[in-house]
Amino acid sequence: MKVIQLKVNGGVYKVDIEEDMRLLDVLRDKLRLTGTKEGCGEGECGACTVIMDGVSVNACMVMAFQAEGKEIITIEGIQRKDELHPIQRAFLEEGAVQCGFCTPGMILSAKALLDRNPSPSRKEIREGISGNLCRCTGYNQIITSVEKASQYLRREEEEK
Amino acid sequence: MEIKEVFRKKNVKETLEILEHYQEQCKIIAGGTDIIIQLREGIEKSSVLVDISNIEELKVVKETEKWIEIGSGVTFTEIAREFTLHDKFSALVEAAASVGSPQIRNAATIGGNICNASPAADFIPPLLALNAVVVLERKNAIREMCLEEFIIDKEKVALKADELLTKIRFKKLQTNQGLGFSKLGFRKALAISKISTAVFLELEENNKCKGTRIATGALGRHGLRERRVEEFLQEKALDPSTVHQGGRKLQKEIEKRLYGRPSLAFKKEAVIGIFHKAVDKAFKSCKIEGGI
Repeated sequence: MKVIQLKVNGGVYKVDIEEDMRLLDVLRDKLRLTGTKEGCGEGECGACTVIMDGVSVNACMVMAFQAEGKEIITIEGIQRKDELHPIQRAFLEEGAVQCGFCTPGMILSAKALLDRNPSPSRKEIREGISGNLCRCTGYNQIITSVEKASQYLRREEEEK
Repeated sequence: MEIKEVFRKKNVKETLEILEHYQEQCKIIAGGTDIIIQLREGIEKSSVLVDISNIEELKVVKETEKWIEIGSGVTFTEIAREFTLHDKFSALVEAAASVGSPQIRNAATIGGNICNASPAADFIPPLLALNAVVVLERKNAIREMCLEEFIIDKEKVALKADELLTKIRFKKLQTNQGLGFSKLGFRKALAISKISTAVFLELEENNKCKGTRIATGALGRHGLRERRVEEFLQEKALDPSTVHQGGRKLQKEIEKRLYGRPSLAFKKEAVIGIFHKAVDKAFKSCKIEGGI
């Protein structure tokens, strides 16, 4: 047993962890942030994608103790007050959500991409979400929504 | 997984002390993309983990007059970014960008790729072709070793229990030298390499092969140098017919090595195409001005 401090979605949490826990286990079972999904548990599907210190990682491939002191963003942390994040809005508008299991991870991969590259090409979007598997949509709607979200975000920037 | 103790160190010195104290009980974790699966599947049984992913001194890429030095904690995302502007080293960018997925590349490190020594490790063939050297540190001692000798067998390296791989270095490419990399996976992303080939060339006038180093991945128990092919190309002018014959030589090697494997039927055909692509890229890289 060990106590670690985690920074998740802007809040600081002191959590008791077992040494063998992964970041994914702490997020879901300790902090009850169940938006982060466990799919394959071996880094293939991307359902557990979170953003750690600005880059996307699979939460199933990070030990909890390794995440101490790092800034973590999960799907629960991207909403702005009562409004959806533009990526979430674009996903709904374009029908990029079907069963929804891949969606949180997909949105965080999209966010990591758009934070770095505000105007990606469709090819760059494909590459950016290549670590996230979706068995429902066939990906086209997802790519279109990331494109649309990039327009929303750019417009926001211009209006600032 | 039965982990009893975990450490997270900020420098090499303290990490080496932990390693010295715990010896075989202790395992190093960096990106975690291999070891976490091994721990969960019970393949890896260490009870103590020491995390090195926060050690800044292992995250440095450094150039000296003759060498390029990459810290063992540098991730594949960082390698791809670091070498993007070095056209001569586009093979390294390609090899780094072909690893796993964005999430894996953000975490997985060059040191982990080497020490895990998977037969399909993506970054081992280019480093073998560059004749890379690994720097191994233990408390109060440091030694260097050729990467080729460091990899002993499938998933086995000559790293002692109290040692840490801290750096990988290789010589800069000169104007007449070049590196090419080509990989075949079953799909574009997240593909474990089925065949990978890296080719280093040093050309003289009339494209004569003064020196060559060829390394393959996923075609044996671990990444290895293809010396028969290297010998064949030596001192020959690199024209389509020589490259074709070189490909046939490599095919013969693979036929012997993978005899009886179901994958041989396709690998022995596919390896020729992969070899041609890697040679072609190495040739182009030779023509770019060097010294960077």
